[in-house]
Amino acid sequence: MRMLAEQVRADLIAFGRRPETLFFTVFLPVIFLVLFEAIFGDIEVSAGSDYALTQSTLQVPAFMAMGIVSACFVSLAITMVNRRETGLFKRVRGTPAPAWLLIAGQGVTSLLIGTTMVVVMLLVGRIAYGVEVSIDRVPWLVLSVLIGAAVFSCLGMALASITPSSEAGPPLANLLVLPLYFVSGVFVPVASLPDWLSSAASVFPIAPFVKIITWPYDPAEPDIPWTSVLLLVAWGVLGLIVAARFFRWLPRRG
Amino acid sequence: MRTVADAIVVEGLVKRYGDRAVVDGLDLVVREGEVLAFLGRNGAGKTTTAEILEGYRTRDAGTVSVLGEDPAHAGSAWRSRLGIVLQESQPLGALTVRETLRLYAAYFPRPRPVDEVIGLVGLAAQAGQRAGRLSGGQRRRLDVGIALIGRPDLVFLDEPTTGFDPDARRQFWDVIHGLRELGTTVFLTTHYMDEAQVLADRVAVLRDGRVAALGTPAELQALRGDVEIRFELPAGVGAADLPALSAAPDLAGGVVRVETSAPTRDLALLCGWAEGRGLELANLTVERPTLEDVFLAIAGDHAEAAS
Repeated sequence: MRMLAEQVRADLIAFGRRPETLFFTVFLPVIFLVLFEAIFGDIEVSAGSDYALTQSTLQVPAFMAMGIVSACFVSLAITMVNRRETGLFKRVRGTPAPAWLLIAGQGVTSLLIGTTMVVVMLLVGRIAYGVEVSIDRVPWLVLSVLIGAAVFSCLGMALASITPSSEAGPPLANLLVLPLYFVSGVFVPVASLPDWLSSAASVFPIAPFVKIITWPYDPAEPDIPWTSVLLLVAWGVLGLIVAARFFRWLPRRG
Repeated sequence: MRTVADAIVVEGLVKRYGDRAVVDGLDLVVREGEVLAFLGRNGAGKTTTAEILEGYRTRDAGTVSVLGEDPAHAGSAWRSRLGIVLQESQPLGALTVRETLRLYAAYFPRPRPVDEVIGLVGLAAQAGQRAGRLSGGQRRRLDVGIALIGRPDLVFLDEPTTGFDPDARRQFWDVIHGLRELGTTVFLTTHYMDEAQVLADRVAVLRDGRVAALGTPAELQALRGDVEIRFELPAGVGAADLPALSAAPDLAGGVVRVETSAPTRDLALLCGWAEGRGLELANLTVERPTLEDVFLAIAGDHAEAAS
């Protein structure tokens, strides 16, 4: 436990001292939330049957989802690839530290970063834009964050396993998530997408995640979106299988 | 001859990549507490052998015992007795020297105090500096610090001073001397002969995946104990005119080389012969072969090593 605490501490320090990762992972989703609120906040969309939600409300959970994906998938995959290719993992494998430590350390670090962003956005939404989460659904919000963090961490590990080099890390991760942000309800409400596009996007992991993390913010929607939960967890399992199959500790050369 | 006090025992080690045997029947014993320099040209199998001993690579044949265990099956208790400095490995650049050592200390069951290690590797002035901003030599000393944090019985150093300036190398050598005083066994991979001469109790020279020579630096030097006499052949004199020496002279480019085990007698003969003819032997030198010469002779030339 002490070992894990030291690992997470070191990972967090290392994360916090790199301005570029700090900006792209943490600040960008929050900046996007503020910008999108300023530009599209007043547009009304009908999310449920009875209530008319403003775009302002929907954007808060949408960018929370982006924050989790950014920390647990994009940043995690890039970091894992970098550490493998610079020989850091190889060196740690030469110490008595158990193999799970590096994976757990990075998982917990990403979870903490992602959770911090969710809390910041929750507060920004609440204080600046009066966006409230229904109190009785707060546990579901917490659960959504945990499920999302777990699933996207598994997918991040999978991506890291199949990424060949440090250079390929950032473009590959961003190539996968950027288009999905557009078609999964993060940048653009799903309701304003053509049907074929939204149904195509709905099978990928970001759309179901946005759906389940939005539910606590949408009192008009009575039922927990279980189908989305199952789909998301299935993606997580797939990620885990790929990661377990292709995971490497040693850099490509040497 | 295997005793309890052997840190490393390797017999008949073979490692193939495809159908090429990089390590080809290597035998080696490293005694506890000694600094063994493992020398060879690039491609001679140094790093491959080191990584098999460290447990990173599998082997195709042979038996290997490191601290009494087979590295291929050894666990974390075994690893806690090792310190490994890899050829290429960067610590987290964003962490300071102290933070880095603190993290690695957490991996080991009975670590040395961080400040003690900082002192051992001479980084007290850089303790609060980020690893990414250290000079090459300082970073390598941090690597050694990481290897020392767990109080290892055996330390592997893989080409630790490649690319160093002379000052940095000397500082690094001081650190290794300090290791010997701690009683740590050191397996030092290098291709610098002078480094081996300064640091090593014994030197193993690797060639074509086998140990071609093994001994103290003095013993290796004695392997080619012949003294070399060299001078320019005076004008108007043929090789056949030279007096009969204890070894046949070698003539190349107007320079005569004689490798002799009786230098006093041969010199007297040569000088008497030259004096009698009123000749001056230009650029006359008498030299013992350096360890470098020995290494070059044993390790083979570049073309051979690369093939």
